[in-house]
Formats: sequence, C-alpha cells, structure tokens
Amino acid sequence: MQHLVEVGGGVSFPVDLHGGQFVLAVEDRPGPDNMDALDPVGLDEASRAWVAGLRASGRAHEECIVALHAHLLRVARHEVARRSGSLRIRGPELEDVAQQATDDALRAIRSKVADFRGESRFTTWAYRFVMFEVSTKMGRHFWRERRATLDDESWERLPDMLTGAPAQHSLHREFFAELRRAIDQDLTALQRRVFVAIALNEIPMDALVRELGASRNAIYKCLFDARRKLRASLSAAGYNPPYAVSGAS
Amino acid sequence: MNSDRGLDVDAMLAADSVDTGCAAGFEILHRYVEEELVGGEPARAHPGVAAHLESCPACRQDYLGMIEAAQMFGDARPSAP
Repeated sequence: MQHLVEVGGGVSFPVDLHGGQFVLAVEDRPGPDNMDALDPVGLDEASRAWVAGLRASGRAHEECIVALHAHLLRVARHEVARRSGSLRIRGPELEDVAQQATDDALRAIRSKVADFRGESRFTTWAYRFVMFEVSTKMGRHFWRERRATLDDESWERLPDMLTGAPAQHSLHREFFAELRRAIDQDLTALQRRVFVAIALNEIPMDALVRELGASRNAIYKCLFDARRKLRASLSAAGYNPPYAVSGAS
Repeated sequence: MNSDRGLDVDAMLAADSVDTGCAAGFEILHRYVEEELVGGEPARAHPGVAAHLESCPACRQDYLGMIEAAQMFGDARPSAP
C-alpha cells in the first residue's frame, strides 16, 4: 500500500511500506525516467535547477543545455590554461582542446545525470567529466608535439638524474645500481615501459593511455605493480623506505 | 618528477596497499572535493582515495583542477551561465 510523505516545502513523495519501513515507491526512485524524485531536501537550489533543466523538455531543456555548455566551456578553458605550461600547447590548440572536452563532457553528463545522487553540488559532480575529457584530449595532443622515445636511455642515466651530475656517494651509486638492475631484470617489458615513461620521462599518463590503447586504470595498475616489484627488489637488497636519496649530493 | 631538484625516489616508488585505483577514485572524487572545500577531512574518511591522489599523477591533476574549478565556478546556476 502506498502512502504520501511530505518532506517540506509542499513537496511529498509516494512511499511503500516494506518490513515496517517506508521506502520510496519504485516508480518514484531516481532513475533515467524519474529524476524528479532526486532528494529535493538535501539538494542545493542551484543543483536542483541544473537537474530540473536537464530533465525538462522543450525550451527549458534547450536553454539549460546552452547554459551548461557555456559553463563547462568556461571551466574547460580555465583547466587547459592551468595545464598548458607542462604540455607546451598554445593558442588555437588550447581552444580546440577546451571545445572538444566540453562537447564530450556535456554528452557524458547528459547520459549519466540519472546517476547524480546529490552527494555534492551538481557542478562539482559535472566537473569530473570536464577534467577527464581535458586529460584525454591533452594526452592526444602530447604526441603531436613530442615523439618521446620510450627506450632505456633515461634509466641508464638514473644516477645522473639525482643531482644533475654523476652520483658522488658510493652508497647512492649502489642504491641506483640496484634500482637499475631491478628495472631491467625484475619488471615485465610492459611494466618497464610504463614505469620509465611516467616516472622518468615525465610522459603524462593519459598520453600513455592513448599510445598503448589501454584505460587509465589499466596503465595505473601496471605502474603500481611495477613500483611494488621495485620496492620488493630494493627491500631484498637491504633498501627500505624512506629511501632518503632525493636531492642528496 | 625528474626536476631540477633531482628525483624524489619515495614518490617515484609510492605504492600504498590501500590505493583505490583510478576508477574507484573517480566515482567519489566529487564527494572528496566537496568535503575538502567545506573544511572536512576527506583523507580520513577516504584513505584509499587520498593514497591514490598522492600516487597517480593523472588523477591528481584532475583533483587539483576540480578543487580550483569548484572554488571559482561552482556556484553557477542555469539562469546565469
């Protein structure tokens, strides 16, 4: 049997009684076709307006989409500018990345708005998609500017990279010799490629994601496993964290 | 990571067992950011996400971007794009 429960502001929901507890009636739970039931009590006014606009039809919906696109574009432009220094992307390319990221983020938001549960402001929830798309697009642009070589050269120079000059202390030389040996012998070919690219060559993870055709999660798992192997190898050789070699001379 | 100051080997080899990974972190990143912006301690409530954001350069960039965007633009509403 259904009951109506008023939650304030003249808003009420139909509920079912199950096991002595009231639960939102099935047809009114948040979902693709009934987002209007999304927790109106906890949602801030702006978030409620965004969700209502996305769920509306006709002109109200179209105006919301235009407004959301304009807002996301502002955020995307700010984000690509924030990241541009490290990736050497300039001018028109920045605008291309921002536009493409906005279009794809808006598409994702429209398809996933039913997943929004009011756990944050709507805008914060939406920005995840903007950031992800900016990362993806900038990873793609990275290879246009730089054909990085994922070879072994960088880790051969590992001791030099510590201070910008050949390592002076024998202890450090021994540590890096062991680390170099572990990179060479204990990692799989893919782990070595990912670790050298990200940890030593500073290739953005999302650029590597594109290069290897894998997901970000898969690349990170590969990096994580490589790190764990190297830590185990170093531990077996008597080196344990903190390694205390950063910036040493 | 190989900056002028040299390598930070501890960061380079960071691999915390509680690390959630990228996908699980992404799922609650908006909550994490929002909790931080209201003065909460999301790292205490979500240690796996905190560990991940320390170790994953890509997700850390997304997190930093979200913090900045939410502070600067987060109060926007449809009527005032």
